[in-house]
Amino acid sequence: MTEGVATANAALRTRRRPRWRISEHPYIWVAPLTLLLLATYVYPAVEVVRFSFTNATLLNPEYEYTLRSYQALQRNTSLGGLLWITFLFVFASVVFQLLLGLLIALALNRGVNRNLPGVSVVRIVILSSWIVPGVAAGIVWQLIFSEASYGFLNSLLRDVGLPPVKWLSRPDIAIWSAVIANIWRGTAFSMILLYAGLVIIPKSLYEAAAVDGASAWRQFWYVTLPQLRPILLINTILISIFTLNTFDLILALTGGGPGRATEVLSLYAYNLVFRNFDLANGSVIAVVLLAISVVFTFFYIRLLPKENET
Amino acid sequence: MAEVSVRKLIKRFGQFEVVHGIDFDVTDGEFMVLVGPSGCGKSTTLRMIAGLETVSDGEISINGELVNDVPPRDRDIAMVFQDYALYPHMSVKQNLGFGLKMRDMPRAKIEEAVQRTADILQIRELLDRKPKQLSGGQRQRVAIGRAIAREPQLFLFDEPLSNLDAKLRVEMRTQIKRLHIAFNATSIYVTHDQTEAMTLADRIVVLRGGVIEQVGTPDQLYNHPVNRFVAGFIGSPTMNFIDAELAESAGEASIVFNDGQTLPLTAAQRQSYASHKGQKVLFGVRPEHLTNVFTAENRGGAGLVPIEIPVEIVEPLGADTLVFSKLGGSEIVSRVAGSADLRPGTRIPVHVDMSRTHLFDPETGVRLTAT
Repeated sequence: MTEGVATANAALRTRRRPRWRISEHPYIWVAPLTLLLLATYVYPAVEVVRFSFTNATLLNPEYEYTLRSYQALQRNTSLGGLLWITFLFVFASVVFQLLLGLLIALALNRGVNRNLPGVSVVRIVILSSWIVPGVAAGIVWQLIFSEASYGFLNSLLRDVGLPPVKWLSRPDIAIWSAVIANIWRGTAFSMILLYAGLVIIPKSLYEAAAVDGASAWRQFWYVTLPQLRPILLINTILISIFTLNTFDLILALTGGGPGRATEVLSLYAYNLVFRNFDLANGSVIAVVLLAISVVFTFFYIRLLPKENET
Repeated sequence: MAEVSVRKLIKRFGQFEVVHGIDFDVTDGEFMVLVGPSGCGKSTTLRMIAGLETVSDGEISINGELVNDVPPRDRDIAMVFQDYALYPHMSVKQNLGFGLKMRDMPRAKIEEAVQRTADILQIRELLDRKPKQLSGGQRQRVAIGRAIAREPQLFLFDEPLSNLDAKLRVEMRTQIKRLHIAFNATSIYVTHDQTEAMTLADRIVVLRGGVIEQVGTPDQLYNHPVNRFVAGFIGSPTMNFIDAELAESAGEASIVFNDGQTLPLTAAQRQSYASHKGQKVLFGVRPEHLTNVFTAENRGGAGLVPIEIPVEIVEPLGADTLVFSKLGGSEIVSRVAGSADLRPGTRIPVHVDMSRTHLFDPETGVRLTAT
């Protein structure tokens, strides 16, 4: 009986093999994912570029092709301010996410090495801030920054006898409030990446450095940092792209205000399309964002270790 | 130059004690090898001397100064690691100079020391390479160079050759020995390989299960092992052990095996073992003392006893041949002349050099001596 089954199996294999062998028909295997990526990534991107060359609005299904939106961009006097706000938001977020992420990763790594209890709890708590949706994070931080009587930070300040701060209503402070909220949300990602980088640094390097006479600080400077360098660079570029595209958190926190003090490029694009129904001009801003991201991605690819390097 | 003294040293990992209070001294300029099977606590002991592991109890002193709580960087030691632990992002030159840089030596001095070290180890042409561009043997050289560039008072080696292939291992072994002869620096070397221990050491500490079995020169360990473990651990192939009885035969004190075969004792042995007469013993003889080769040492000696052994398996090594055989009911190995044409199933005449044999207590494993 087993013999019969074996023959049947063999027959099945010989019948199926030629058609499905991946080396002979790679496209069949690659097709599903290719279609999925085309539909969800490439098609929308192409559409955005296409709409940027039209005068389309969400109010009128008819449109024609034109370069007017790009000409409008050149005349747009608010663009400089938007770019500056975006730069501040991205730069400050990236710097502090990296620093805090590295500090927490170092502390966690030390905790694991010393078998301290509760390390995994800390990790989960920090990660939970990362999985909170941007809009929800924005609302939570709005409660924290709120200048009403229930505002968390201001009531703390009141308790210690300090005057309240206009976290969200003063333009020069509101941008930093947005940055703080975004740092809180994004630090976990850097922490995880850098922690993974720390774990793979061989312990014997630290032992060799200790015997060689390096203090803890010099061990960090001469062993940890150089060993983390590739991951630090990749981390920087990834979170730069993430932050550049962040608008949900700001939308919920300040809506871009007061005035336009916290309106970053991605939020501007969102406002143009979904508030002004101006699909064409929104698409132009989206194309600008895309271009900046492509530049970052280019650096990212350059920095990734090549396959023939180990 | 340094003296190291280890007193009642204990290491616990949690509830688990791995080093059970050991004592030994390393004198100035001595090459001391800690040897033993894996898990015997030799690496842990070395790491405590380096300051990389805390001391649970007991004392470690360097030059009379208690260093239990001194961090590694202040012990003026250098260490060569099993996996080399070269800094991957630094060139060979930077690796060699790192220890000096950490001691804030002026740049010119560092450069000078690096060049000198590179000359000694013949790695001048590798100075600008990164560790990953080096072969295993070259990495090992750089690791040793990193240690000697600083001219520390104490060298520690943690199984430095175990990642190398056999040929390179022998080469590097000689190199380390040469360096020790040249610098005469106090060194502590950990290995599980008894050949490495025997060839390199001035003195050897044999460890098992976190306790010291014996401390002595290679010659002492080989010729006067204190117990069965040391006798079996030192020497390759390992010593043959045969159950026997110390009995009277034809009016003379003899070794009588379980199958009735007897070997007469030498006069000296008859005297030393007099008090053990009638006792069950473990008879120990090294393969090289169960041979058909006459040497300057054993020729005409009083203790040569001719016997015949059956040939079961033959392992020719060229210079000599190992014959796997049976004696007194136990499996044994003997080392015979390389040219002998041996066939399994035949018998071969050999002689036992009784003056080089040992008797052990079958219960405790302790070597029997005159009492």
